[in-house]
Amino acid sequence: MTVLEVKHLKKSFGSIEAVRDISFSVNAGEVFTIIGPNGAGKTTTLEMIEGLVPPDQGEIRFQDLTWDKDAVAIKKKIGVQPQSSAMFDLLTPKENLDLFATFYDQPKSTEEILELINLTEHRNNLVKQLSGGQRQRLAIGLAMISNPEILFLDEPTTGLDPQARRNIWDIILQLKSLGKTIILTTHYMEEAEKLSDRVCIVDQGNIVTLDSPSSLIEKLTKEREVSLSFHDEKTTIEAEHFSKNLDSVIRTEREDTTLKLWTMKPEDSLHDLFQFTKENDYHVEQVSIREMSLEDVFIAYTGKEWRD
Amino acid sequence: MNNWQQFKKMFMTQLKLTLREKQAWFWGIFFPVILMVIFMVIFSDNSDDEFKTEVAIVKEHPNPTSDMLFTQLSQLPILEVKSDKPVSRKQAEKWVKNKTVDAAIVFPETEGGGQFLILVNKEEEQGVTTQVISSVLDKFVQQANLSAVGATPSFDVQFQSISSGNANLSYTDFLLTGMIALSIAQGGMFGMVDLVEMRRKGLIKRLRMTPANMGIFGLSDMIMRLLFSIVQILLLSLIGVFIFGANLYINYLSLAIVFLFGALSFNALGYFISSISTTPNAYMGIANIFSFLMMFLSGIFFPIETMPEWLVPVSKVLPLTYFAEGLRDSMVYETGVMSSTLWFGIGILVIWGALSFIAGSLLYKRKSIVATR
Repeated sequence: MTVLEVKHLKKSFGSIEAVRDISFSVNAGEVFTIIGPNGAGKTTTLEMIEGLVPPDQGEIRFQDLTWDKDAVAIKKKIGVQPQSSAMFDLLTPKENLDLFATFYDQPKSTEEILELINLTEHRNNLVKQLSGGQRQRLAIGLAMISNPEILFLDEPTTGLDPQARRNIWDIILQLKSLGKTIILTTHYMEEAEKLSDRVCIVDQGNIVTLDSPSSLIEKLTKEREVSLSFHDEKTTIEAEHFSKNLDSVIRTEREDTTLKLWTMKPEDSLHDLFQFTKENDYHVEQVSIREMSLEDVFIAYTGKEWRD
Repeated sequence: MNNWQQFKKMFMTQLKLTLREKQAWFWGIFFPVILMVIFMVIFSDNSDDEFKTEVAIVKEHPNPTSDMLFTQLSQLPILEVKSDKPVSRKQAEKWVKNKTVDAAIVFPETEGGGQFLILVNKEEEQGVTTQVISSVLDKFVQQANLSAVGATPSFDVQFQSISSGNANLSYTDFLLTGMIALSIAQGGMFGMVDLVEMRRKGLIKRLRMTPANMGIFGLSDMIMRLLFSIVQILLLSLIGVFIFGANLYINYLSLAIVFLFGALSFNALGYFISSISTTPNAYMGIANIFSFLMMFLSGIFFPIETMPEWLVPVSKVLPLTYFAEGLRDSMVYETGVMSSTLWFGIGILVIWGALSFIAGSLLYKRKSIVATR
């Protein structure tokens, strides 16, 4: 079931075309991630969907609801986590949640949310005394207070240390298991890969590609990078010479006792190579095939280096 | 949740935010109180003290008449005779030279009459003290002459000050009402810094994403600010009345009207400042310029009439001038709501408030797109 559909969104700020043409639809219960470098148009896209910025062109539908006619109904349906600082610093997490709860007809209980975002212990400390990760969790909690069907999380882990980031991931996965639809933006590839059902890569205001992380990787060229370490340099040179003559191998590279080769059929190449080493009684110390990641997908589609 | 419950919750939030904001306490309560106390201690105490000047008396040829004149002269409350007895002319001249005394009065040499001589330092020749001593002595000599011929004066001058309203208007009352006006104005002009901070943090945007009624949010904020100002009025008035003996004759209806329009108008000014500043520091800078300009040009500490003439027109356009006057009218002169001066002042306040609010709203509207980055 489609819960959100956007068609041909377009938005310019002065002479800057922030969003050129973005269309996608989001299914109930999935984690849908919009990923892209800074300035790609992620936040603008999200803010248009959240009703904060009117699009220059295009259509946004929450099933049969639109912002023009059903603003209040949509606001009750969605929960938004914009930035960690968008809360009252001089109130406690509990007071912030209590206040936001009054905006809705049937809010969740504050205690339940505090439990979910793991802030029960800090419920009565002022927000300004909380750490970055705690604030971020509270921001997610504030988005959750209305018990929304759809959650928008805008870069929830930016600027957090690995531990705090993992905590947020746990919360997001927990929300997913509760059946929430989550629309996430991030510029951490690892995060997108780990959490998302589908990933939408955005660059310069356009969607570059959209699919599940595994199919995106699969769609990439079949060329894989294999590296092997040998006992000594002489052996390595011989192994390189051998692999260069294999049909499956495209090119090789050698550095001291490490051999790297790029192959279209890693299984075949490795099979032949191991046969060769076994016959000559050469000892292979390490073997690895580099895993393809979303980062490679991004580089393949945009031709740009990825920068966190 | 219904509007009333939302209002209650938002008001409680505003209350907590205000109570927990140390800056609000310092600038809103502590600072005006300290400022008022300092000014009152420095200026109003002096006004109670009599003018006094220290002189030396030279009476080198003692005789019964001059002894009697000396006794009479030294009884004048305005003169304090150095070392309480006559001294030599040489000593007196030395004192005048090194300014130990303001002047020396040299008695005539003969008993039947002659010249009183006043010795003053050249630097002080045109000074107020010299003039006072000279006229006091002149009057004294006249009296002496009259009594010498046995006549009583037919005319006499008595001095009494009259103020336009209550006879009791003192500097304390003037300063107290001025300080109340100033602190409410500052509360409005500085208080809107929260708005800049809220916008910078994206909190306003965040609230707009909820079904929360932003009108109720603004209303609860405004009521909290008005309450805070009422606390300021009460506190300053209590200190003024009980510690410094200010006399207040309050017309409560006029006061309520002046207070409401004044406070709203200065909050609108703060709102305008918030619309043109992107950071809290920028806001504070601009608010300080407004505040200092008005503090000294609006007749808060001293009456406008004491300012150089060319500055008076400036103070005639500043809103604080009219707010302070309105508060004085309603708190000291007991002016009723039918006064046209009162409404003229309120009119100026409303113009300032309305223009600030409209300009601020337009600027916010224009910026709203840019502000979402």
